[in-house]
Amino acid sequence: MGKKWLLAISLGAALISGQVSAEDKLRIGTEGAYAPYNFMNDQGKLAGFEIDLGNELCKRTQMTCEFVVNEWDSIIPNLLAGNYDAIMAGMSITDERKKSITFSEEYKPVDPSLYAAKKDTQLDFDKLEGKNIGVQGATIQATFVQDKWAAKNTIKAYEKPDQSLADLMAGTVDAVLADGEFIRTAVEGSNGELVVIGPSEMIGGGIGIGMRPDDAKLHEKLNAALAEMKKDGSLDELIKTYFKVGPFYKK
Amino acid sequence: MDTLLNSPFIADLVILFKPALYNIYFLVAAVPLGFVFAVVLALAKNSQSKLIALPARTYIYAFRGSPLFIQFFMFYSISLALNPSVWKPLGLDWLMLSPLFIGPFVLMLNTAAYSAEIFSGALQSVPKGEIEAARATGMSKKQEFRTAIWPNMLRLAWPAYSNEVVFLFHSTTLVYFTMPVINQQQDLMNKAGELFEKDYNLFLHFSAAALYFLVISIVIFYICNLIYKRLTRHLNVDVKLKIKPNYTR
Amino acid sequence: MLEMLPTWLIDWLGPDGMANLAYLTNGKHLAWYASVRYTLIAAVCGAGLAVIFGLLGAGAKLSKFAPLRWLGDIYTTMVRGVPDVLFLLFFPLAFEQGIEYIMAKMYCSPDAVAAAGGVACKEAQWFLTTTEYLVMACFSLGIVYGAFAANVIYGALKAVPKGQLEAAQAFGFNEREVFWRFQVRQMWVYALPGLSNVWLLLLKATSLLSLLQITDIVAWADRLGAPNYLPMAGLVHPDWRWKYYLVLFIFYILLTFISERFFGFLQARASRGMARAN
Repeated sequence: MGKKWLLAISLGAALISGQVSAEDKLRIGTEGAYAPYNFMNDQGKLAGFEIDLGNELCKRTQMTCEFVVNEWDSIIPNLLAGNYDAIMAGMSITDERKKSITFSEEYKPVDPSLYAAKKDTQLDFDKLEGKNIGVQGATIQATFVQDKWAAKNTIKAYEKPDQSLADLMAGTVDAVLADGEFIRTAVEGSNGELVVIGPSEMIGGGIGIGMRPDDAKLHEKLNAALAEMKKDGSLDELIKTYFKVGPFYKK
Repeated sequence: MDTLLNSPFIADLVILFKPALYNIYFLVAAVPLGFVFAVVLALAKNSQSKLIALPARTYIYAFRGSPLFIQFFMFYSISLALNPSVWKPLGLDWLMLSPLFIGPFVLMLNTAAYSAEIFSGALQSVPKGEIEAARATGMSKKQEFRTAIWPNMLRLAWPAYSNEVVFLFHSTTLVYFTMPVINQQQDLMNKAGELFEKDYNLFLHFSAAALYFLVISIVIFYICNLIYKRLTRHLNVDVKLKIKPNYTR
Repeated sequence: MLEMLPTWLIDWLGPDGMANLAYLTNGKHLAWYASVRYTLIAAVCGAGLAVIFGLLGAGAKLSKFAPLRWLGDIYTTMVRGVPDVLFLLFFPLAFEQGIEYIMAKMYCSPDAVAAAGGVACKEAQWFLTTTEYLVMACFSLGIVYGAFAANVIYGALKAVPKGQLEAAQAFGFNEREVFWRFQVRQMWVYALPGLSNVWLLLLKATSLLSLLQITDIVAWADRLGAPNYLPMAGLVHPDWRWKYYLVLFIFYILLTFISERFFGFLQARASRGMARAN
């Protein structure tokens, strides 16, 4: 009895909300744990490069932005399931991901991935053996270390990026491979506890907005807005604010 | 026969066989030590000395009063925080951060508290006459415990304890909800969840996992019942355990 | 906001104390404290539904109609063989899939279904927010712990002295009236200790809300405790998760303590005027 009732209500609610979200609302899925791309600030609100960029894109395309926090490992399935319309979560454009989703033009150029380790760690990257290497699961870095190091070392995959750093500090893993900006931020903020170590690995493409393949309209809109932001230099400015590099796009 | 083997449900049962062993391992690793610890706690709780009774009471209250889910998170993160200063220098980090160790360890701490409550209730209802009879025959304290108190306590506590073991088995699902999965070490719920995320066939994967839980629960109960029959064989009546829900975590 | 504190308190706390206080009252922490509401809503609504499902289950078990009796027995047995976590995850997912299935039947053309890979088309996809998940969590908790409550209520209904019911019958009340006006009303005293146990179980099960995509106290504790190396994102600190989990550990023990006090009080009130054996 109670269940039927709930079914009726939620069916109604779903129909109504389905109509509201038709055109002018853009829901963006992000992780909220990948500083400085996206993170929770002291106010408990989402902040970071991608949050600012997303809001700017929405302003230019005249849509209302809403950010949805989603775990990394289910961020693509939930996009396909319609929980949100776009992913902005420091996601590299790869051929593997292009099989299930489409990407906008890149909004941040490719940046080599780096290894971080605790200070005074001796690692010989020419013949690494019997070490523990941490990565975030379902990332390009995870695929990369699996291919390069798994034969003679143990790979530990974490659900969240900050868990890999916590385990690195706790000494559970010897090194962590992640996006260059993420590693540099951690090393700078670690008060000398962490260092960048070993080679920089050139993997993946630039970072882009992930969308459902059938969303051609949104794809067009966002690409146009990105091109505009690249042209007038506002994207370079945002990159400068958060990553202190650039400019990349303004000719 | 061929079609039966090819049915997705059977395929699921085959895939879930190895994960089921992890749940069984967690249970088997936690129960023996948990039992011993519970008996010690129960005796301490019923002790005349406040100095002994109070810590035991506090321990039991804390572990029964908080969710096992939180206990897993807490002990894992504490162990992680201790790693650089304690485990690593001792060379114990491979052990102290492995879910295969912390999992059963926390389960043991938890079941000890629940079981101690059961045992201490049983201790209080040991027939006074039997204790007095033991004393009258001039037995020492130790003999009195062995012949009068211990067998009675075990017999009185066994039905409730059997339920506790079954629910402890169900609680093993929480290990991999709270700790990292290393290599392919996955338990039933973790694997069922992974299968679900691939094809969204909820009923298939969850019912296959549920069947494993059901069957193993029945086996646990069967074993407990055999032990109960042994414990009560002198009573000369046909007794049977009944599964009934009691305190879970 | 902290400048509004009286000066003597600011002096007493000192700069370190004030810094700690500022940290503990920043937006992120306030969000954590506020998320306690999800835990309490799930516990209270879940308990209410558990009593309703419990009454229905116990009624079914006592039914003279055999299939209904079997249904009641199956319902109260299922929680004994299968972990509650499985049900807690299963019901919301099954409900969501059910809704999407119905909506797909109503709104999706066969082509759209084929294009979406056999699942619901875009129009039929149901976006779930915390509110929907919370409602479903309440129902899941209600269904699972309703089965525990059904056992308790079933036992309590049978514990009501036969003489009371026979007396009521002798006064000319019919069977239905005897059940609702006498058996159910008198049952509560016998059911209270058992129901208080079910409440304590349910309370502890609310810690699992984060598994249902709800950003509850456990999820916030994880976010707050995670190490931070970016000054822009707030206080730079190493992994502090164990501290936050310790707080949750104590928080739940306190909730248990308060609940036990409350039920003790209820029991004392309810058993006034009852004949006691000792």
